[in-house]
Order: sequence, then structure tokens, then C-alpha cells
Amino acid sequence: MNGYRVLVAVLHKEMLTEWRSRDRVIAMLIFSLLVVVIYHFALPELPSSEVPSTVSGLLWSAYLFAAILGLNRSFSAELENHALTGLAMAPLDRGWIFLGKALANFILLIFIQALTATAFALGFDLDLRSLFLPLAGIFALGAVGITSVGTLFAAIAVRTRNQELLLPLLLLPLLMPILIAATTATRALLLGEPVPGTPVRMLVMADTIFLVLSFICFEYVLDD
Amino acid sequence: MNSSTTTHWIDRNAAKLGTPSLLLALLLTAVWAVSVVTAPVDSAQGLIQKTLYVHVPCAFAAYMGFVITGLCGIMYLWKEETAYDRLAYAAAEVGILFCSLVLITGPIWARGTWGKWWSWDARLAVTVLLWFLYLAYLLLRSFSEGSPRTARFAAIYGVVGVPVIILNYFAIDLAGGRAMHPDNLEQGSLGAGMGMPFLLGVLAILAIFFHLLFTRTEVETLRAEELRTHLLSDSH
Repeated sequence: MNGYRVLVAVLHKEMLTEWRSRDRVIAMLIFSLLVVVIYHFALPELPSSEVPSTVSGLLWSAYLFAAILGLNRSFSAELENHALTGLAMAPLDRGWIFLGKALANFILLIFIQALTATAFALGFDLDLRSLFLPLAGIFALGAVGITSVGTLFAAIAVRTRNQELLLPLLLLPLLMPILIAATTATRALLLGEPVPGTPVRMLVMADTIFLVLSFICFEYVLDD
Repeated sequence: MNSSTTTHWIDRNAAKLGTPSLLLALLLTAVWAVSVVTAPVDSAQGLIQKTLYVHVPCAFAAYMGFVITGLCGIMYLWKEETAYDRLAYAAAEVGILFCSLVLITGPIWARGTWGKWWSWDARLAVTVLLWFLYLAYLLLRSFSEGSPRTARFAAIYGVVGVPVIILNYFAIDLAGGRAMHPDNLEQGSLGAGMGMPFLLGVLAILAIFFHLLFTRTEVETLRAEELRTHLLSDSH
């Protein structure tokens, strides 16, 4: 079975199980919308000039926490009926299993990002329509970084004690470069500045490093 | 996988170098202490500037610990020899110790010169992130069960952690992290009479670092040997 077919099979299975249960996507969505409401009450009334620079950080912290919530469940279903052992024993390159899983997590996160950004736009009175394309690009670049290294460590955390406790502690320090670059780029866009080159290059660099390392390291995760 | 826990070069050398590295560390620390006491007092900062002789060498030792953890992680994944895992574990623990010292001495110095305990300066932010990163590494080890699995998971985290150290540096500069740290070291312009105590500080701290690293590795080797003996006696 070649790599591409493995990727498609894993992606299809992930999307189908998510479509049937909708557990993760609903939990992630409700969580990130709750965050919008919490930020509204936690923050003082912001003058309209300060909203764009503040919202970018709030948006990305909501994405990060929602992503970790979803990633925590990414491999839980595989523990039932020894499905993870089945995956480990399959005669194929495990990197492609990783890519299938990571792509499914990426699609979920992009969906949550779009809905949460809409909620932020309504809640904080921002007009994001003219920024749709550049914002979508930054969201996608950030999501690649979060879901690549996130999927790798979700596979690790699921085979430890206290996985729900461990995953955020493992991921948050690792994802700091992504958070800083994505927040900087989003802030510039919301302030009406052109797409900033340095944070975008930083995101591309971090995504590449995380994807390559995760693809290689996943080979060692499923061994017993 | 290497089943023996005593024949690997790391285990042999860690056991052999423990005492010489202790003697070297004691000697260098004594000379270092004298040179710090006799070093000139900085005209602008006063006595508090002498924190430099502890703070910066500790930062070098912390980085060295984390890089050794990453390199040993790569070696463990490649060779699957448990000695690399023991060295990686020891280096992370000793690295955390020195990173904690950096985070303790830094605010003491900052209070004396900047007037406040903490600032989100790029280097401070990177150091505190590093501290969290390797605390998570130790937590991952304690939450994982089964020796080869723990070693593999920790090795992966150690390997991914190294590029993050570099990425964080760029990222925090990008976010406009205020650079309050002096650039003296980069420009090679330490005041007259301050170069020698600084150099001795680096050598003494590195000697202490390696002594702790060798001792901690030896403890892990003995623990692994005891476990192996215990398992063998159970099986007979």
C-alpha cells in the first residue's frame, strides 16, 4: 500500500468517525465560543483603537486551547479494541498514518478557527470580510504547526498516565514560536497593515521543522 | 537493544570521571571565588554586577544540558542503547538545575540594576520557556510507564525541543521582546579585570556541571543494574 493511499484511508476513517459522533468538533466549538464570552467579561471595555491589537492574542489563545482539547481525544478511540496495536502492526510506513491523522486534526481546527473568528468579529465589532484571504493563510499556517507537533504528542500522551494533564504541558512550551509568529501576523493584518514577511517566514520555518520531525519521530511512537 | 548496563562507554566514563571532575570543580571554584572577591567593583552597578560571574556561566551550563539531552535523544532513537537515555535524563535534570539558578540570579541582578525583579526581555522569556520545556520533559518521563517506552517518548521530546530553543529566540525578538540585557559579552568589552573571573566562572560552573552529570548518570546506571539483577533473580 503506498503512502498516499494510507493517508487517504486514515483521513477518511477519521472524518467518518468524527462525522458520526461529532464529539470533538462540538466540544472544541463550544469551548472556543465560551472563551469569547469569558474574554468579554474578563477584559475592561476596550477603546475601538485597541481592539485589533488585543483580539489577535485572544483569538490565538482560544485556538490553542481548543486545539489541545481536540488533540487530547485524537488517539483515545484507538485504545479501544487495541486499534492502536493494529495500526502499529500494519505493514506500512507509519509516517503516512501520522499525516492522515494530522490532516484530519488540521481540517477540524480550520473549521473551529473560522467559526471562532466569526464569533470574535461579532463580539468585538470587527469587520474581517476584507481580510478573509490573508487571515485564512495565517490561520492555516498556524494550524499546520499546532496540528503537526500536536498529533505527534497526542499519540505519546495517550499512552501515558494522566494524558489530559500531560498534553497541554508538553505542547504549550513547544508551540510558543507558532503562537508568537501567528499573533504578530494577525495583529498586523487587523491593524490594516500589509501581510508581514518576517512572522510568515517564521511560521513557514516552524511548520516545516515540526512537520518533518513529527513525520520521522512518529515511526518510534507506536512501538511497544 | 543493548541489554548490558555496564559495558557502554558512557557508563564506564561516568563512573571513572566522577571523582576527578569533583576535584577539578572544587579547585576551580576556590580560584574563581578568590578572583570574584578581588575583581574590581563596577562603577555604575556596584557590587550587584558580580552576579554576572554566576548568572551567565549557569546559563551556558543550562544550554549545554539541554543540547546534550537532544543529541542523546537522537542517538537513542538511532542506536537504541539505554546508556544514551540515561545520559539524556541526567543532562535534562542538571540542565533544569542550572536553568533554575539562572532564573534565581537573574531577578536578583535585575532588581539591583533595572529596578524591578522581572522584565519580558527576549533572553529572560526564552529562558523561562526553556525551563517549562524541560520540566515537561521530566514530567513526561515520570508519567510514562515501561523503560523502553519512557526512553523513546523522552528522546522524541528532547529532539523536538532543540529547534524550539532556536525558534523561540527569533520569535520573541519578532514580538518586540525588549532587549534589556547588556551586549558586553558579544562585543568583548567586559571592564578591565573582569574577564578573568568571568572565564574562571565559566570553567568552574562547567566542571560542576560535568561532575553532576557524571554522578547523576552513574546513579541511573546503578539503578538500571539493580533492576536488571532483581528481574534476573525473580526469573530464576
